[in-house]
Amino acid sequence: MPTYELALMLRAMPKPELKTTLTRVSHAVFNRGGIIRNIENLGFRPIPYKTSAHGLVHREANYFIFKLDTATKAVADLREEYSRDVDIVRQRFYKVQTDEQPACTLEEEMLPPAYREEVQQMIEVGKTQVNRFTYKFKYNSGLDYYPFQK
Amino acid sequence: MASLQVVIRQFLSTSRRAVISTIRPYSQAVAENDDAPVEMENPYKKERKQCILCKLNIKPDYKNYRLLSQFQSPYTGRIYGRHITGLCKAKQALVESEITKAQNSGYMPYYYKDKAFLKDPKLFDPENPIRFHRF
Repeated sequence: MPTYELALMLRAMPKPELKTTLTRVSHAVFNRGGIIRNIENLGFRPIPYKTSAHGLVHREANYFIFKLDTATKAVADLREEYSRDVDIVRQRFYKVQTDEQPACTLEEEMLPPAYREEVQQMIEVGKTQVNRFTYKFKYNSGLDYYPFQK
Repeated sequence: MASLQVVIRQFLSTSRRAVISTIRPYSQAVAENDDAPVEMENPYKKERKQCILCKLNIKPDYKNYRLLSQFQSPYTGRIYGRHITGLCKAKQALVESEITKAQNSGYMPYYYKDKAFLKDPKLFDPENPIRFHRF
């Protein structure tokens, strides 16, 4: 079961209602055999842009982040269910990335073009291509007519 | 005249020093060992350049929208390019994807920078890019 993060925006509502919404959201995960690792409340704050959801315009929302483990196939199902939930303004599922970090390649990227590996590869590829600026049709190609317009 | 004397005195002093160094007693074998080239790393080798996120070991994350907003133009909300931010390719790609995620999930605006973050420290100078650009 891969780990996902669910970024939720819930509409402005009183606390008891918020509680029932959160339990509804969590039970949807549990019913599909998923587990919730963590729930983070990022607070009630203005949205940087106005959003309309379920026929209402929202300018502020309750932000939540669920860290959950579910089957990959359950995610689409959850998304569909949450899209029908009128209390959810916006929901985004993100797969949690691994922690391994590749080494910094800035040194190689700052080299002059001739020393950069990708430029060298580009030149190699260029050598295998026909240069259309210097290419000239050869009359001894076996055709008994000139194939292009003169 | 005085200057000539000074020159002569200097010459004498240096020549005396040279004479002393030549007549200094030394044993051949020890000197050979001392003078032999020593295998060592290049002491003048420059430190490997790293981008700021790699150096400080920071992983950009869409929830850390305050960090991400530092890579955003305060005028248009667009993401600065690699020649301005000075990030390595991998980190720049990561920053760009995380900004898109943050904007999409409603943490960050698309067309402007959050005014609370306008006075954040500048990580780079957009006026002095690494490579020339047409803007």
